Amino acid sequence: MSTEPGEVREEERTRPTVATPSPLRTPEAPRAAAHVQSHARTVVLEGLHAYYGDTHAVRGVSITFAANEVTAMIGPSGCGKSTVVRCINRMHEEIPGARTEGRILLDDKDIHAKDVDVVSVRRVIGMVFQKPNPFPTMSIYDNVAAGLRLSGQRGNFKERVEQSLVGAGLWEEVKDRLGAPGIGLSGGQQQRLCIARTIAVEPEVVIMDEPASALDPISTLKIEELVQELKKRFTIIIVTHNMQQAARVADKTAFMLSGELIEFGPTDKLFTNPDKKETEDYVTGKFG
Amino acid sequence: MAASAARTHFREELARLEAQALGALDLVVSTLDRTLEALHHRDIELASIVIQDDDRIDGRYLEVHQGILSLLALQAPVASDLRVVAALLHVIKNAERMGDQCVNIAKVLPITGFEPPSDEQMLRTVERMGKLARSEVSQAKQAFQLRDVPLAEDLVRQDAEINRLNRECFQRAVAIGTDADRREWAMTMMLVARALERIGDNAVDVGEQVAFVVTGLFREFSDASHR
Repeated sequence: MSTEPGEVREEERTRPTVATPSPLRTPEAPRAAAHVQSHARTVVLEGLHAYYGDTHAVRGVSITFAANEVTAMIGPSGCGKSTVVRCINRMHEEIPGARTEGRILLDDKDIHAKDVDVVSVRRVIGMVFQKPNPFPTMSIYDNVAAGLRLSGQRGNFKERVEQSLVGAGLWEEVKDRLGAPGIGLSGGQQQRLCIARTIAVEPEVVIMDEPASALDPISTLKIEELVQELKKRFTIIIVTHNMQQAARVADKTAFMLSGELIEFGPTDKLFTNPDKKETEDYVTGKFG
Repeated sequence: MAASAARTHFREELARLEAQALGALDLVVSTLDRTLEALHHRDIELASIVIQDDDRIDGRYLEVHQGILSLLALQAPVASDLRVVAALLHVIKNAERMGDQCVNIAKVLPITGFEPPSDEQMLRTVERMGKLARSEVSQAKQAFQLRDVPLAEDLVRQDAEINRLNRECFQRAVAIGTDADRREWAMTMMLVARALERIGDNAVDVGEQVAFVVTGLFREFSDASHR
């Protein structure tokens, strides 16, 4: 960390849109309300290793996830792609016996630095999971507001909830029943509700781990279109088993195999003329 | 890394489409053989068979084209598979064009009549062009089958010879004399030479697709505007 966390907090307090400061926010970046204001930051992995006890799941991955781009992580089951993204928002370390080596930088700040609070990491690096997981007892409104409340913010969230639901492409479908239970929505709507909850706290990076694998094709298409909108505001990292989905939504694609990053580059290059034989074999379905 | 059973059907289908598309080049070779024979023997009947038989090449074109559309829609091929599929679309289009050039030749042969006032030198040049064009089509097919880029690139050498002979034909036609019938015959032979020259170009186009499939980069072997 190049900046003392305390100093950053002072800067952040002057901004009305962020009630709870984050040591990971860069003070230079203005966060005042604007139409499609980008909060996106670059995520850089430098020689990332991840272990589950003795199992070496991620082996020296170095990669840069560019701001305002969608990067897809593809690879067969067990290749380490989900572990990589779980390291990025520091969820990996929650598993007993799990540890990481190497550096993960959000712009120039190491998210594993001693003075960085793990909660603040997860606030700026949001995550959407495979299975939609709205809070079952909460209304649609409260599901979205929950992220704001959990981050310590107080007050009337009406505007923020509406903005988030609009941003998640769900507003028109739910605006007349905000008090209805979130769990009553369809699977695709629930996933967009979870996306609304994630973006409500205005993260800088949104990680999506198989966000559409439990959804029908139409809902999948909506999520994919949404990703194109969201990348204007955030850095998007999407883990997917569905190679066509990666091809459709991602600007860049990373292919992992046995914990190693085999190839990383523009998606169209990777799917038309990959450099590595392993990539060629995987994307053409010769193995995996 | 176990082979994926799920893609077995796709691999078979892609291999079948390639065989069908390259088979169209075999059809072109046999059509060209008949065309050249009709030219040599002034066999109008054989020329009319060439015209009728072009339906087979056209039918093959439609078959492969539809197969490729289905494969794209159902199997979403990528990487080298995608390049093969894209190249096959070119191959089958070129085969169809080559078939049409044979028809063009077959259609002009009756104009020359049974015993036209021909010129042996010009006829020999046109027939030499025909043999070279045939060899180019065969070699283009072989290069695609073997993914052999040097063999594909060698087509340019043969094509340069066809182009040279085409110019030679033109000069001969210009200098053929004042007899109206002989000039008409020479003009007809120029149409034949032009069609054979185009078949050579189509074969080079197939060769360029071989390089694309192997390297992933498309480049013209020689600048078409200077061919």
